[in-house]
Amino acid sequence: MKNILKISIALAFLFTLSSCWLDKTKPNYQYMPDMYKPVGYETYSVNPNFSDGRTSQQPVEGTIARGKVPYDYADTTEGYDSALVNLKNPLEVNEENLANGKAMFTIYCISCHGAAGVGDGELVKRDKFLGVPNYKDRPITEGSIYHVIMYGRNLMGSHASQLTDKERWQVVMYVQQLRNELLK
Amino acid sequence: MLLLSNHAKMIKVIFLYMKKLYQTRKKISFLNMKSVKQHSPLSRLVISSLAFLFFFSLNLSAQGDPANGEKLFKSICAACHKLDAKLVGPALKGVTERRDQAWLIAWIKDSPGMIKSGDKLAIQVFEENNKLPMIANPQLSDQDIIDILEYTKGAPVAAVAAGTTEVDPGVERGKQVFKTNCAACHKLDGKLIGPPLLHIEKKYDAAWLKLWIKDNAALIASGDPLAKTASEYSPIAMTPFPQLTDQDIDDLLKYMAVGDVAPVVAATSADQEIFNKPGIGIIPTLAITIGVLLLLSLIVAATTNRKVGEEDEESGVSVLKTLIFNPFVRFLAVIFFLLLGAWFAFGYLMQIDVNVGYQPIQPIVFSHAVHSGDNKIDCQYCHSSAKNSKTSGIPSANVCMNCHKSISEYKGELFGNNTKEDLDKEIQKLYDAVGWDKTNVKYIEGYEQKPIEWVRIHNLADFAYYNHAQHVTVAGVQCQTCHGPVQEMHDMKQFSPLTMGWCIDCHRTTAVDLTKNGYYKNIHDQLSKKYGVEKVTVAEMGGLECAKCHY
Ligand code: HEC
Ligand code: HEC
Ligand code: HEC
Ligand code: HEC
Ligand code: HEC
Ligand code: HEC
Repeated sequence: MKNILKISIALAFLFTLSSCWLDKTKPNYQYMPDMYKPVGYETYSVNPNFSDGRTSQQPVEGTIARGKVPYDYADTTEGYDSALVNLKNPLEVNEENLANGKAMFTIYCISCHGAAGVGDGELVKRDKFLGVPNYKDRPITEGSIYHVIMYGRNLMGSHASQLTDKERWQVVMYVQQLRNELLK
Repeated sequence: MLLLSNHAKMIKVIFLYMKKLYQTRKKISFLNMKSVKQHSPLSRLVISSLAFLFFFSLNLSAQGDPANGEKLFKSICAACHKLDAKLVGPALKGVTERRDQAWLIAWIKDSPGMIKSGDKLAIQVFEENNKLPMIANPQLSDQDIIDILEYTKGAPVAAVAAGTTEVDPGVERGKQVFKTNCAACHKLDGKLIGPPLLHIEKKYDAAWLKLWIKDNAALIASGDPLAKTASEYSPIAMTPFPQLTDQDIDDLLKYMAVGDVAPVVAATSADQEIFNKPGIGIIPTLAITIGVLLLLSLIVAATTNRKVGEEDEESGVSVLKTLIFNPFVRFLAVIFFLLLGAWFAFGYLMQIDVNVGYQPIQPIVFSHAVHSGDNKIDCQYCHSSAKNSKTSGIPSANVCMNCHKSISEYKGELFGNNTKEDLDKEIQKLYDAVGWDKTNVKYIEGYEQKPIEWVRIHNLADFAYYNHAQHVTVAGVQCQTCHGPVQEMHDMKQFSPLTMGWCIDCHRTTAVDLTKNGYYKNIHDQLSKKYGVEKVTVAEMGGLECAKCHY
């Protein structure tokens, strides 16, 4: 009888051991996590040292991060009109730039503008997001396209935070190519 | 499949030994023994451990090793045989169903000898195959031949023919491959982005499917008419999968041939797999073996004791008592519980800090299935830093607002227990965070924005370095390979273990794309020269060096 008792105790013990991590909404146990957690603050973590309590801060005003190009046109109608005529693409038109432009377009623009730029993206087809124009219907130039990616226009939002400077120009190049094809 | 011939000698020895033991003792034969008590504990211990050894070794070599079999097949048999077509000799797929194993072993070792000796079947085979004699292979051991035979079973059609009695472990692996690679666009039994894939092997042949899966674009470009019609199924081109090996695709085809197997059967296939992979798998098998032994001995003990009971008219309690005090039973019980304990303890230790399935409750019910599945928004639209940096990042609210300026209510298919109002409230939470006034469609001026505090799921220990750009942009690995079918998850959860073994496994098996990658061209050229191959795995490139991940 004693044996049976012991065995059932052992079984119960084993069962609890093997089923420790039942609540999948909490992380699993760690063993001596000394070097698991970073000493510094992680990018998105809460931070008591800043007044807004976040680790990820805006760049200090008046500074330019390495590799960033400042954009001097204002987010106004005048700024748009000025960019339309004055802003020029610094990149050379070639296969490589167009290929990456296409790749980026496929990620960031296609849901609304559609693969050919006629404004029939998935969101439009599903009636979720309406009012996307056909590129050939707008008198756009490379400057205005870049401006629109930077600031957005009306219902379209800014895509500046998702693309680097170079990638934006590559997308511009690809949009122009699409537009030329549509105008044919 | 059990290799009895291999064990015949051993069984004989054990039986002889047992017989002797029992015959010398009052001439009671094994099955009619009157009472276990009549034997000395020592002899019982010897018998039980012998029996144990016997069962154990039976289990160990019962399983052929198809990997070894494949190697042997390719080096020895492939000159004259193919698996699925006639060459010089007959097709060998499913040969184990046509002929019995002992015969096959004899035949492979010395077929000329068999024909000479007048074996009827041997002569018939000889005549069916244009009287071309098969070369004798006396150098092969029995185990080698079993491995080869195991390999001949491994083809997809054989799995179908064999029916449900036995599930190939390849089916499970294929399922995994399917889940991680194909399930994004295909279902087995219904249309998704691509066509349903159950029984696709009946529509196309395996060799063609292999080409198609690996690089369908090239196949279409080559003007293959079959490929052209297939590509017309949908305007969306299928992702090429150059990273899948032939073995992967074979497994995949097996899975698509049988589909999802009932869980009970799948469990047995897992049992059979145990000895194919070393490590923890050995312990459950041991436990099962011992469990079976325990059961057997209980039955034996119970029946013998009943006889004792009949004669001596003892009560039921003493039956239990004799059972408990029976040293054989106790011996087994101790081993059983020790092993069981070890198994659980090991399993427990191995899963510490492995967070597969971790699914925290997020501040906003944000569904990847709605965004990436239904609305086909690219992963990188939101996780936009994946292409250029170490982290994939969680999108900031301005990215959400690109769409949600205009999408202020949810009109799609409901999921979970949510009503439309619930989901509208979730979108409202987003507006509360950024200060968007949805009736006037503009930002509220002077609003103090609040961060959305998403709960981080994937988190490597700080001493390991992992980089998204290296894998996503350079290697071109799909997000789903590591993060699972995200586009079907309403609530995000961790799919991969993120253990070192997991990283290393992939680096060992994944070939580096040497063609597209200009940045590493020099290194890649040198590497392929050094290893003399077209295909260089990440491991060969140095992806196993500790300092690549730990510094
Ligand atoms: C969420 C949907 C959406 C996405 C994503 C989107 N757009 Fe737009 N886009 C719109 C809408 C809506 C308009 C019409 C705006 C208006 O009313 O002038 C527009 C207009 C435009 C115009 C014409 C603006 C003008 O000067 O008249 C350009 C150029 C453009 N988008 C480029 C892009 C590029 C490049 C991308 C990818 C980086 C992109 N869009 C992504 C919705 C979108
Ligand atoms: C509309 C924006 C959006 C799209 C598109 C999107 N995600 Fe996410 N993703 C998020 C947000 C917001 C979170 C954080 C909330 C959560 O975990 O559910 C997240 C979380 C994740 C996480 C977990 C991060 C962690 O905490 O460890 C992974 C992995 C992930 N996404 C992968 C993907 C993949 C793969 C795709 C493409 C199939 C994808 N995402 C598409 C917005 C998006
Ligand atoms: C590219 C466009 C796009 C982006 C970016 C986007 N959404 Fe959505 N979102 C949608 C669409 C489309 C729906 C479905 C609306 C419908 O079916 O009526 C949706 C639905 C939702 C819903 C309700 C359904 C659900 O998933 O619970 C929530 C909440 C939501 N989005 C939150 C977010 C958050 C938070 C972000 C930023 C991380 C975000 N969305 C970014 C397009 C987008
Ligand atoms: C080779 C495997 C692999 C691939 C491919 C992969 N990831 Fe990850 N992902 C990881 C690992 C490992 C982590 C944990 C990183 C850490 O904690 O440092 C992670 C973390 C994340 C996170 C959490 C936040 C962060 O950046 O640490 C998100 C979001 C994410 N991945 C999204 C994606 C998306 C989107 C893609 C496709 C563009 C993708 N992943 C492709 C392995 C992968
Ligand atoms: C899906 C397969 C896969 C997984 C899983 C995976 N990797 Fe990789 N990894 C690759 C490939 C492919 C490359 C080669 C990229 C290239 O072409 O240079 C690579 C390259 C690397 C490199 C650069 C190696 C070098 O020689 O420069 C590091 C570092 C790395 N991986 C770390 C990790 C870590 C850490 C993990 C686990 C958290 C991981 N990987 C998981 C496929 C994978
Ligand atoms: C491909 C990347 C990669 C390579 C190469 C690699 N590791 Fe790791 N290693 C990892 C990851 C990721 C973890 C974290 C596993 C976890 O958190 O479960 C880890 C964990 C470890 C741990 C466990 C630390 C702990 O406390 O949990 C040790 C020890 C270790 N690695 C040693 C090594 C050694 C020694 C080598 C060289 C032979 C090596 N690693 C090569 C990725 C790598």
